[in-house]
Amino acid sequence: MKVAVCVKQVPDTESDRKLSADFTLDRAAADGVLNELDEFAIEEALRIVEANGGDVTIVTMGPERAAETVRKALSMGADSAIHIVDDALAGSDSVSTAKVLAKALEGKGFDLILFGSESTDARAGVVPGMVSELLGVAGLTMANAVTIDGANVTIKRSTDAGVDTVTAATPAVISCVWAMNEPRYPSFKGIMAAKKKPVETLSLADLGLAADEVGRPGAWSAVVNAAAKPAKAAGQKVEDAGTGGVVIADFLATNKLI
Amino acid sequence: MTSHMLIRAIVGAVIIVALIGFSVKRAWFLVRLAGSGKSAAGRTRQAATRVYAEATEVLGQKKLLKWSVPGFAHFVTFWGFLILTITVVEAFGELVLESFHFPVIGAWPAIRFAEDLFAVLVLVGVVIFAIIRLRNNPATEGRSSRFFGSHTKGAWVVLAMIALVVVSLLVYRGAKSTLIVGTEAAGDLNGAVVSNAVGSVLAPLGSDANLWLETTFIWVHVAVILSFLIIVLHSKHLHIFASPVNVYTSRRPDALGPLEPIMYQGAPVNFEDPADDATFGKGHIAEFTWKGYVDFMSCTECGRCQSQCPAWNTEKPLSPKLMILNLREAMFAQAPYLMAAKGAHPGLGEFATDALASVDASVRAEVERPFIGARAGTELAETDGYTFDGHRMGGTELPVISEEALWSCTTCGACVNQCPVDIEHIDHFLDMRRNQVMVATEFPSELNGLFKNLEQKGNPWGQGAARRNDWITEVDFEVRVFGAEGEDTIPDDVEYLFWVGCAGAYEDRAKKTTKAVAELMHTAGVQFMVLGEGETCTGDPARRAGNEFLFQMQAQQNVEVLNEIGAKKIVVTCPHCMNTIGREYPQLGGNYEVVHHTELLNDLVKAGKLKPILRTDGTVTYHDPCYLGRHNKVYAPPRELIGATGTLVEMERSGDRSFCCGAGGSRMWMEESIGTRINQVRGDEAIATGAQTVAVACPFCSVMLTDAVTVRQAEGTAAEELQVVDVATLLLEAMKS
Repeated sequence: MKVAVCVKQVPDTESDRKLSADFTLDRAAADGVLNELDEFAIEEALRIVEANGGDVTIVTMGPERAAETVRKALSMGADSAIHIVDDALAGSDSVSTAKVLAKALEGKGFDLILFGSESTDARAGVVPGMVSELLGVAGLTMANAVTIDGANVTIKRSTDAGVDTVTAATPAVISCVWAMNEPRYPSFKGIMAAKKKPVETLSLADLGLAADEVGRPGAWSAVVNAAAKPAKAAGQKVEDAGTGGVVIADFLATNKLI
Repeated sequence: MTSHMLIRAIVGAVIIVALIGFSVKRAWFLVRLAGSGKSAAGRTRQAATRVYAEATEVLGQKKLLKWSVPGFAHFVTFWGFLILTITVVEAFGELVLESFHFPVIGAWPAIRFAEDLFAVLVLVGVVIFAIIRLRNNPATEGRSSRFFGSHTKGAWVVLAMIALVVVSLLVYRGAKSTLIVGTEAAGDLNGAVVSNAVGSVLAPLGSDANLWLETTFIWVHVAVILSFLIIVLHSKHLHIFASPVNVYTSRRPDALGPLEPIMYQGAPVNFEDPADDATFGKGHIAEFTWKGYVDFMSCTECGRCQSQCPAWNTEKPLSPKLMILNLREAMFAQAPYLMAAKGAHPGLGEFATDALASVDASVRAEVERPFIGARAGTELAETDGYTFDGHRMGGTELPVISEEALWSCTTCGACVNQCPVDIEHIDHFLDMRRNQVMVATEFPSELNGLFKNLEQKGNPWGQGAARRNDWITEVDFEVRVFGAEGEDTIPDDVEYLFWVGCAGAYEDRAKKTTKAVAELMHTAGVQFMVLGEGETCTGDPARRAGNEFLFQMQAQQNVEVLNEIGAKKIVVTCPHCMNTIGREYPQLGGNYEVVHHTELLNDLVKAGKLKPILRTDGTVTYHDPCYLGRHNKVYAPPRELIGATGTLVEMERSGDRSFCCGAGGSRMWMEESIGTRINQVRGDEAIATGAQTVAVACPFCSVMLTDAVTVRQAEGTAAEELQVVDVATLLLEAMKS
């Protein structure tokens, strides 16, 4: 079974994240880390090939320094990687990203293409769906369990309404939700081995895409303004004078929580 | 030569040849087995320190005498056998020459008196040992006996053999004393008062009978000694020969404090670009060094380690003694492979193919046996598979080392501190943890979060670096932060770099200590500076959890920073930081004078720069943090500080026998799901003193003991006023009262 996992380098959620003057992410301002949700997808992919045989390919689109993220993903146990780097990709939105990833994935014979359910920086969560559309394969999103049965793949999909069980024939795109598994910690052996694993670096030209199809010129969406999140307003303080419970109950009732 | 002497000599010779043949063969096997271990660096450096250890610990029996009664019994037995080597030599000589005695000193009355005195003292020792074994019988006392899991039957055989050596000696010397030997008068072996007394009982039997009695008991004596030698070489009693070697080659001053880096060909392994055949920790018995093998051969199964172990005493499957027995068992079971491989075992799950092909199928099964793995759910898993008398359940299908036991260790050092033969338990456990983390990636899942936090955030709590200075905004005096005024080295007027530590910056209770220490230094006029956002974890949690790679990265980064800014004197509030910066960073080229805040504050009080007011109400008990006490031998300063502010009452276990809080060895970051909670046991011990305050000197002890006391307060079994506070807070309160 050939499995691809699409990953993204994102700014560390704990660090101060900043936007540049043109409202794109100021990547230099924060440490770049592997999108935490992608770790669940990588873990799931590794478990799938451990059980069914096959190999795992990491696919990422990002600047030079995203290579660190690729190595991190490889150190967990993936076999090889494709890294798409091109200056013309700067400013890509979800649609451009999906186009690029679909081009890189297409025709490579992947049975499954896994994603984290969203990236912790943009948080759109639409790229997996778009890629499945562009590739013309089933899109199984928000999976918190995956089972393989011959040429079929079944996921448990958690929604607000309950849990759906969805089955599709492979090839298929799956997006993986938070805590669907326990991502492994790379062993030192894995870290060493990752240094020697093959990483294919591709440019837009290699993919056969024109610069104006992607990046800022090809984007369908644009950020027109951004403002800092307002500071949290002070909460209401309740001194317990024997009636604390009632006050809290009233507060919860007012906010329709009980 | 008389016909009697001819018979005596011939029978004697047969006994000697038969028994010594066995012994020599076994001894040669043991030497080759020990020599088949991997190389160990620096084990003979600092000869003077080693000779001193040999003198105090072997000849002086220093560590055995930590326990007075068993210590005395062992002291007299040990010295008895040293002195009785004279009579052993004489017994062999007397097989051929009736009047033989040890050259020069053998006939001195004082020497003969000493021989008889120690012969009797050895018997007294054997009786004491027997009483100890009966009182601590694991068959009835269960796991509370320190002998639980030891080979008790073998121990009784050894005691019997020791008694036989002495009894046969006294009988043959008694008979001898009745005979006319050489120039000495019959009935008087000058100076040998006990032998003479035995002789006076035997004398009425006549000289013919006594001659045969003498001969027979010389044979018995020689046969017993040589049989005993064979037993020693095949049993836990091997410590007689192994432990002097072990004491000489052990880590000095002791195997506590810093951990050793992972070595490759005599030098620390290079994590940036490790050699292909470098191993990372120990994942198989063949990966241990010869020093490890000598450790395993030295264990006498006395169980002092077990009696002190916080894990064993809270019903966990870890006993340091049983772990060493497991390793020893594996070493002997795989000996043919180890000796064939001669240290060429490649590790990382690979075997030395030729060596493996050369051994029997049964040995091969042992070699390929899983080394570390789960034993949970298997028979007697709660005692690591052991019955009370040293039988272990399961065969080669079960792993040698139980992972539940391996991860139960708090690295408190009680075992190493107690071990009379200087076995390096913690080093072995940590080497196995290293393999589990870096090679096998099989470790408690809670550590995933810890490692991630340390890697990405530089602290175990996963907090942002910006919050490191939060405490500074909560004090009403100025705290100098390095770099705030553009300095690139620590200014000359700054005496101490105050290493706040992650707990000290992020954890609420520890923050109180940080503020108290800062305020006290401020009051005493000590100029200090903090690194603020420039601080990161020292790497102790990673290292104790087996992640040496992560430790090395963090430590290198910190050493670079500290060297660059010219740090010299550093004060810390966390004993773990103290141990790592002060004693492990020298391994990476960082040499600083590191003091714990209790040491600094105590000096300030002594110098009159801080003047606490002595409180008379209530008492204070003090919990020794393992990394301050046992690992770094700071026992007095915190006690003196408490004495300056109030009245100290000691817990049942204190000083170098203090009981761990349960958080060391990175256990702080793991769930404690087996047995009783260690912190609760220690908390209850503190509550039992009746003290109003439990003083601590470590942020982790503070968390653990506060939790334990809170549980009892909620149950109503501990006083509401009882509080757990750091010694610094206590001092600050005494300044204000």
